[in-house]
Amino acid sequence: MGGVTDSMNQQRKWLGLLLAVIMLAGLIAGCGGKKNDGGGSGGNAGGGASTSAGSGGSGSAGSGDAGGELEPITFTFYSADPSPNWQNMQDAVGRAITAATGVTLDAEFEVGDAAQKIALIAASGDYPHLISPKGDLGKLVEAGAMLDLTDLIEQHAPNIKKLFGDQLKRLRYSEDDPSIYVIPTYAEVGQTYFDAGGGFQLQHRVVKELGYPRIRTVKDFENAIREYLRKHPTDENGNPNIGLSLNADDWRMYISVTNPAFYTTGGPDDGEYHIDIDTYEVTYHFRRPIEKEYFRWLNHMNAEGLLDNESFVQKYDQYLAKIASGRVLGLIDQRWDFQEGENALKAEGKFEYGYGHYPVTLTEEFKETSFWPVGFSPGWGVGITVDNPDPVRAIKFLDFLASEEGQILDNWGIEGEHYVYENGKRVVPEAVLERKKNDPTGFQRESGIGLYHNLGAHYGDGVLDSTGNYYTTNFPEQIVATYNDVEKETLAAYGATTWKDLFPSEKEFPVKPWGAAWNIQVPADSELNVLQERMKEITWRRIPQAILAPPEDFDRIWDEYQKELLAAGVERMEDEYEKLVRARIRLWNE
Amino acid sequence: MEAATTTGKMTRRERTVRFFRTALRNRWLYAMSLPFVVWVFVFSYLPLWGWTMAFQRYRPGRPFSEQEWVGLDHFRALFQDALFYQVLRNTLAMSMMGLVAGFVVPIFFALMLNEVRQMLYKRFVQTVSYLPHFVSWVVVAGIVTKMLSTDGGAVNGLLLWLGVIDEPIQFMAKGKLFWFIVTLADVWKETGWNAIIYLAAIAGIGPELYEAARVDGANRIQQIWHITLPGIRTTIIILLIMSIGHLISIGFEKQFLLGNNLVREYSQVLDLYALNYGLGMGRFSFGTAINMFNSVVSILLLITANGIFKRVTRESIM
Amino acid sequence: MRRKVQSASSLSDRLFDAFVYTFVTAVLVVTLYPFLNVLAISLNDSIDTVRGGITVYPRKFTLKNYEVIFAYKHLGTGFRNSALRTLIGTALGVISASMLAYTLSRKDFQGRRFVSVFLALTMYVSGGLIPFFLLIRDLNLMNTFAVYILPGMVSAFNVFVIRSFIDGLPYALQESAKIDGANDFTIYWRIILPLTKPALATIALFVAVGQWNSWFDTYLFNSQSEHLTTLQYELMKVLQSTQSNVDYRARNMTEVMAQVSPESIKMAITMVVTLPILFVYPFLQRYFVKGMTLGAVKT
Repeated sequence: MGGVTDSMNQQRKWLGLLLAVIMLAGLIAGCGGKKNDGGGSGGNAGGGASTSAGSGGSGSAGSGDAGGELEPITFTFYSADPSPNWQNMQDAVGRAITAATGVTLDAEFEVGDAAQKIALIAASGDYPHLISPKGDLGKLVEAGAMLDLTDLIEQHAPNIKKLFGDQLKRLRYSEDDPSIYVIPTYAEVGQTYFDAGGGFQLQHRVVKELGYPRIRTVKDFENAIREYLRKHPTDENGNPNIGLSLNADDWRMYISVTNPAFYTTGGPDDGEYHIDIDTYEVTYHFRRPIEKEYFRWLNHMNAEGLLDNESFVQKYDQYLAKIASGRVLGLIDQRWDFQEGENALKAEGKFEYGYGHYPVTLTEEFKETSFWPVGFSPGWGVGITVDNPDPVRAIKFLDFLASEEGQILDNWGIEGEHYVYENGKRVVPEAVLERKKNDPTGFQRESGIGLYHNLGAHYGDGVLDSTGNYYTTNFPEQIVATYNDVEKETLAAYGATTWKDLFPSEKEFPVKPWGAAWNIQVPADSELNVLQERMKEITWRRIPQAILAPPEDFDRIWDEYQKELLAAGVERMEDEYEKLVRARIRLWNE
Repeated sequence: MEAATTTGKMTRRERTVRFFRTALRNRWLYAMSLPFVVWVFVFSYLPLWGWTMAFQRYRPGRPFSEQEWVGLDHFRALFQDALFYQVLRNTLAMSMMGLVAGFVVPIFFALMLNEVRQMLYKRFVQTVSYLPHFVSWVVVAGIVTKMLSTDGGAVNGLLLWLGVIDEPIQFMAKGKLFWFIVTLADVWKETGWNAIIYLAAIAGIGPELYEAARVDGANRIQQIWHITLPGIRTTIIILLIMSIGHLISIGFEKQFLLGNNLVREYSQVLDLYALNYGLGMGRFSFGTAINMFNSVVSILLLITANGIFKRVTRESIM
Repeated sequence: MRRKVQSASSLSDRLFDAFVYTFVTAVLVVTLYPFLNVLAISLNDSIDTVRGGITVYPRKFTLKNYEVIFAYKHLGTGFRNSALRTLIGTALGVISASMLAYTLSRKDFQGRRFVSVFLALTMYVSGGLIPFFLLIRDLNLMNTFAVYILPGMVSAFNVFVIRSFIDGLPYALQESAKIDGANDFTIYWRIILPLTKPALATIALFVAVGQWNSWFDTYLFNSQSEHLTTLQYELMKVLQSTQSNVDYRARNMTEVMAQVSPESIKMAITMVVTLPILFVYPFLQRYFVKGMTLGAVKT
C-alpha cells in the first residue's frame, strides 16, 4: 500500500474531525429539554367547590374569590390556530391577565395541519391542560380526553354564565352526550354587524358614470357592466377591461361562485344545504330549481363576453393582480377575499376604482340574505382536558377572560397605555391608532391586544358594558370613519351611510332555530363525510362546465349534473344531514 | 478443505461449518453493517404494526385491544370507487412521463455540461441550474400559470407575435395538455438537481480512458457514446430501478397547484385522493389501506424492475 | 496550470462545441429566471407586489419583508439548531451510508442479499404517521435534539447510490490491500472513502439539504421546546401568520393583523433558506464537477 506520511497525517486529521463531530453529537443527544410539566398547582390553590361571591347578576369583574387563589400556576395549552405574535404572555395584556388570575400559559400554536396534530395528541394520550381543537374536537371526545364543564361552569364561572345567558343550552355536545366540552370562543354573543362586506361589487367609477342607477337585480348588475364596457372597452394602456371576474381557486369557489347562488335566491347560508325554515327539510342547495336560473345567468354573462374567461383557471394571486390593475369592473365576492387587491388600488390613490357592495338578487321577489340571523352560533372553543392538574383554577381563568375586565383587556388594552376615558367615553388616542396602522405586528406583540381573543368567550360588536361603552372597538361611528371620500360620495348618492344600509337587515328574517348549519359537527366516521366529498367533486366539475358552455348546452349539462348527483347518493346525504339538523334543534330548544 | 462425499455434495454439517467459517471471515463486514440493520429495523419496520389499522375502524386514543375489526371493508370500498381508478390512471400517466423525462433530460444535460471546457462557466451554470429545486412549487406553479395565461401571458404573446395562432389559447384549461404541462414544469424545476448525481458519476471516470480514445481518433460524440455513457451505466440503472418502484407514489403538490376545476379529471392523483378521503376526513383506516396498496404495488414494481435489469444488464439492487 | 488544448480541432468538434454552449446557456437562462424573480419580489414592496407583473427587478424596492422575518425572535436559535443538525446529520449520514454501501459491494459478503433486500424495501413501505409518532415517544426521543439525527440516519437510497460508485472501482485495489494484511474496515477507511469522493460529496449534499430544509420533525416532536426549534420551522410560522387562516365563513370583524402580503414574504423566506446553501455549495462542488485538470482521482 505504501504509507506516505503525508496522506496518513491527512487521514488522521479527518479521523480526528470525525471523532469530534461524533462526540459533539453524543453530547447534544444527551441534553434535550423536556417540555414544561404543567407545574404544580402552587400550594393549596383553594381547591374545593368555593361558592363564588357575585351570584350571576352583577357582572362585576374578577373571579369572585380572593387571596390564596392567586398562587402562580402554569397550564399547557394547544391551539389549532396559529398565533405568530405570541409573546408567552410577556406583553402588556398578558401580564395583566397573569396578575389578575395567577395563571401563565405555556402555549403551542398550530403551524401545519391541525387534523394530523390532534390525531397524534389523541393517539398518544398526552394531552395539554387546555386545548382549542377547532373542528377536531370529536377525536378528543372519543379518546376520552375532555372534561365535562357543566358543573364547573355552574359553580365557578359566573361571568361565563352571564355571557351566555339562556344560550347555555347551545354549548352542549350532542343529544347522546349533553356534556359541555368547550367554551365557544370563536363566536360572539350579541353580535351586531355594522357593515356589509358581501353582495355584488361594482367599481365606484362605473356607477358614477351611469348616474348611480339602481342595482337591485342581476339584470341591473349586468346592464351596468355592459354599458360601461361599451363605453370603455380598454383602460388607458390599451389593456382590456373585464366585466366580471370570479374567484375560483380551490375553496374560494364556495365564496365567489357557489354561495351567491343562495344569497341571491332567498336562501340563507347553511353551507351546502338549504333547510326549509318551517319543515326543516334539507336539500343540497344546488338541487333547488331556482338556483339553476342563477347559474344560467352566469352562463349568459359568459356568452355575452362579460365574464372573465380565466375565472376558473386563474390562481388567487392572479385574481388579486387583476383587481389591483383596476380593470375589473364587477366582482361577486367577500371583502376579506379581495381586500388585498383593493388595498393596492387605494395605496395608489385610485379610489374610484374601489368597490361598493350591492344587495343583488336574481329578481325583485327575493331578498338578499347576507344578514339572516342565526342567533348565537357556538362552535369552536377552548376545553379543559383530563390531564389538567387544577380544573377549578382553569375554569376560573377562562371565567376571568369572559368578565368585563377581561373583555376590555382583550379588546382595548390597558387604561392609560392603549386607551383613555374622555367624558366617560372610552377613546383610543391618535398616537395609538397611528401605531396600530403603521406597525400592527409590533403593536400586537407589545400590547397583546387581540392575542387572547380566541382564548375566552366574548361579546360581539355593538354590545355595551356596564359603563355604557362598547366592549369591542368596532362600532358604527368608527366604521364610517374608515370610508374614503369616493365611497362616501357613492353611498350618499344611494341614500345610505354604510353599505349595510342597502341590505335587508336582520329584523326582516326569522331566527334560524338550528343556528348556522355549516358549523354542525359531522361525526368523523360517518358516511356523510364521504358523500359530501363526492358531491363536491361533481359540483366543482359541473358548475364551471355549465357556466362556460354555449347557452344552448346549458340545460343538457345541468340535467346531466343533477342525474350524476342522484346516482352518487345525494338523497341519502340529505336525509342523513336532516337527522343532524333535527338533533341540533332538539338539543338547543328542549 | 472439508472432505466432500463421493457424490460431490456437502452434508448438512459441512454446510453449517462452511457457513460459520465464512461468517468469521466476514466478521468486519458484519460489524460494519449489523448495527445499521438493527437501526433500520427499529425505525422502518417496527412502525409497520400500523398496517393493522387498515383492517380496523381506527379511533385514535383507544388502546389497541379496543379497536373494532372490519376486515377487508376498506379495501372493498377502495376498489369499488370509480374515482379511484381515474386517479390511478392519472398517477401512472404522469409518473411514467415524468420517469422518461426525468432521466433523459438530466443525463443529457450532465453530458453536455461535462463537455464545457471553461471551468468557471461550467461551475456557474451548474450552480444556477439547480436553483429552481429550492423554489417551492407554489412559486413555480404560479410562474407557469402566469406564463400560460390568456391575459398577457408570455407564451401566448410569443405565438401571437409569430403569427402561429390568431387568438390566445387557454392552455391551463385543456385537460389533455395537463400531463404535458406538469411534466415540463417538473423538468424545468428538477433537471439541474437531478443532474448532480450524473455529474458526480462522470467525475469518477478515469481520464486515461479518454486519452486512449482520443489516440484512437474518436471525436467528442464518440467519446461520449463509448466512454462516458458506459461509465455511468451502473448509476443510471440503479436510479432507474429505484424510480420505477416510486412510480405510484409521486406526491400531489405540483398537480394540485397547477390544476384547477376545469382539468380535475386529469389532475387528481392517488396521494391527493388519499388525503381527501383519508386523513382529511379523519378516516385513518382508509388512508392506511391506500398506503398499504401503494406499498404493495411499489414493491411489486421494484422486484419486477430489479429482476428484468438483473437479467438483461446484470446490474441490480437486490 | 492548464494543459494546452490540441490545436487541430476538427470541424465536427467545433460544431459540437457550439451546440454544447448554446444548449447549456439556454438552460442557464431558463433556470436563472425563477430565482431572480423570487429575489426581485422579495425586495419589492408588498402591496405593490399584489399588482403582479414583476419580472427580474423590484419595482418598488424595500427591505421591509426581510425586516418582518428577522423580527421573529427565535430565528437565531432556529438558525443555530439547523446548522448544527446539518453538520452532524451529514457527517453521520455519509458515514453510515458509505459503510453499508461498502459491505454490500463485497460479493463475498454472506449477508449481502439479505441486507440489500431488507434495505430496499424500506424505501417503499411506511407504517403511517401515528405508529411512527408513538415509537419516537416510546423511545424517549420527544423534545430532544437527537430526534433530528437518529431516525433518518440510514437511507437506503444513499446506500445504493454510493454502492453503484464503489462497483465502478477495480477490485484489484482491494485485493492488493488484503494481501498487504489490511482488514475490511481499513480497506473501507483508507481506500474506498478517498476514491469515492464524488459520491460522498453528492450524498453529503443531499443529506445536508434535507437536514437544512426539514421542519416536519420539529413540528411533530419538538414543537413545545423553544430552544430546539429549527430555522425552517420558524419560517413556517412566519408564513402561517401572513396566510390569514380565515375560515371562509367567519364573519369576524376584528382587525386582521397581517399587513404584509403573503407573496413577498414567501419569496423572502425562500431567499433566507436558500442563500446559506449557495454559500456552502462551492466547497462541495469541486468534488463532482470534473475539470480537465482534475487529474488522478485514483492515487
